[in-house]
Amino acid sequence: MKYKESLLRMAWTPRNVLSTYRADLFKRKFLDSFAFHPPNHCSTITSHPLAHKGQHNGSFLPPLAIPGQCLGSVDNYGAGPGTHIQQSNIYASIAGPVVLDPAQPKAQTKGIIRITRTLLPSKQTAPIAGGAHAASAKSKPRYNTLPAVESIVLARVTRVQKRQATVSILVVLDDTNTPSADPSKTASDNDNVAAILSSAANPENHSSTDELRFQAQIRKEDVRAVEKDRVIMDEMFRVGDIVRGSVISLGDQSFYYLTTARNDLGVVMARSEAGNMMFPVSWNQMRDPYTGVAEQRKVARPN
Amino acid sequence: MNDRRRVNGPPGGTRPPVYASLLETGTGAGDRSQRQRQPAELRKICMHDDNLSAPAYQTNLWHFRTSVLKTGLIPSASGSSYLEFEPSASLTAARANPKSLIPPSSALKLACTVHGPKPLPRSAAFSPNLVLTTHVKYAPFAARKRKGHVRDSSERDLGVHLETALRGAIIAERWPKSGLDITITILEAEDDRWWGDAPDSHDASWGMMNVLAGCISAASAAIADAHIDCLDLVAGGVAALVSNDSTNSSSSAPRLMLDADPAEHRSIVSACVVAYMPARDEITELWLKGDSSKASLAAGDQRTGHEALIDGAVDAARGAYTVLAEAVRESLQRAFDQS
Repeated sequence: MKYKESLLRMAWTPRNVLSTYRADLFKRKFLDSFAFHPPNHCSTITSHPLAHKGQHNGSFLPPLAIPGQCLGSVDNYGAGPGTHIQQSNIYASIAGPVVLDPAQPKAQTKGIIRITRTLLPSKQTAPIAGGAHAASAKSKPRYNTLPAVESIVLARVTRVQKRQATVSILVVLDDTNTPSADPSKTASDNDNVAAILSSAANPENHSSTDELRFQAQIRKEDVRAVEKDRVIMDEMFRVGDIVRGSVISLGDQSFYYLTTARNDLGVVMARSEAGNMMFPVSWNQMRDPYTGVAEQRKVARPN
Repeated sequence: MNDRRRVNGPPGGTRPPVYASLLETGTGAGDRSQRQRQPAELRKICMHDDNLSAPAYQTNLWHFRTSVLKTGLIPSASGSSYLEFEPSASLTAARANPKSLIPPSSALKLACTVHGPKPLPRSAAFSPNLVLTTHVKYAPFAARKRKGHVRDSSERDLGVHLETALRGAIIAERWPKSGLDITITILEAEDDRWWGDAPDSHDASWGMMNVLAGCISAASAAIADAHIDCLDLVAGGVAALVSNDSTNSSSSAPRLMLDADPAEHRSIVSACVVAYMPARDEITELWLKGDSSKASLAAGDQRTGHEALIDGAVDAARGAYTVLAEAVRESLQRAFDQS
């Protein structure tokens, strides 16, 4: 379907260039631009010749989709994130690469079509380990993710009170990564996660950027699973700590609610009174490597 | 409202003054720009394609002005787009061979930014859906009459229309507790009338409708660039009933034009803007203005004037969709290639 491509170019071509085209070519191009698929004509789009076959073992899925593009029928696929269903067809709702999660042969489920927000192709994200990732980590694709219930977030403590600590959410960790994934390798809309996490809380520019971040609270009873009534918030968090937490509720109008009541949740990075980065020594202690002074925290289990 | 905070430019025009004698000298400087086109019967053409001669396609193709749409040009925003409509060949000709300081017509140029999803302000109530805010602002130099820095009623009106158009396309429940700000700056706006016509010859602000259609397409591209879930790309289209005769005889009933530029016609009787989602064949915003009762349609056309007008606007939106879809696809491909 060569003329489809030239049609697309036509929309960008100045008029005088176009007038040199042959008239019969016009007719085909022009008609094609207006012969629109009625909403149910899903098959005409999915079998589009520009879509290649190879990536998804034989199915006619386009590699990239734009919103409103039909991807298949609910009879054959399930609708994953980034898609929606209308009249028993699956349509894309964001622009991005189409990924087909293959069906489990045992569990009689259909393959799930989803559209990723990360632009890395799926085969690269899964098995990659360490070294090869460094090149792609430099140009991190940005994407939007909201904290949802049970998602793991990294947040900076902004205020510690007797009954709760207030934090501002820096990163929502990607679902495809394990919760213990290295935050510096996680794609996010914060361009340089490593820099955000390791820099000390800066009171001057902190207040302005916090308004653009989602706020959350860790209530006293959500800090740890045992001895909940003995929790003293000052011995759990300090302002400026980076905390890994799990969202338990979307909360009220202003705050999400986080919990750190798991071994792998809690403070992951903290500075001592002297301002040095501390290392964890136990579930409730971190130590300054220079002064040797230990401070109390609710520490997340290191990997 | 008086703007006391800035040093404003002189009120009134942003272009050189027009002298009435210029229109009568016959130098060609005072010629109304025109596109040579037939009344739009696109839908018919699409259905009966085989017995149509090639020139008919050519004339109909020129109904649409070329347009440029690019996304992702503003790095600090989560999504952005820039849209430009070239008005007509006459402007290009006038630029190449200027006979007057006054451009015969103006283009449409606008930039759209999308910020968010971001937390709602502290004072806002809990919202399980995405809260959409739209701002449309003319640059002071955008129109022939200077605009103030404070948004006036027409700009707020455009903002409300745009919000209606987008709200129907966005899947708001996927973004709880968050807000989305859409800001459009109009750098150059379409004229409400030809500059040579007296200001009161047809006083409705027809140019606003073309601007709205552009705003809808640009905002849709920017939303797609920001990866906000939506049902479909929503394209804006305009159709108008225009009359080119100065005499008001009964034989000169207004004809239907797609993507009409008010500067090219002696008077616009009625106009319609739609925001249209082609994949679902749904309209999210409809704005009709003027008297559509006296349209001269093709013989045998049973449609009433406003039906023809809406159909025409939908066809124009489909034309805009081809550009819109390609712009979104191109920026996606570019990002994909880089990663």
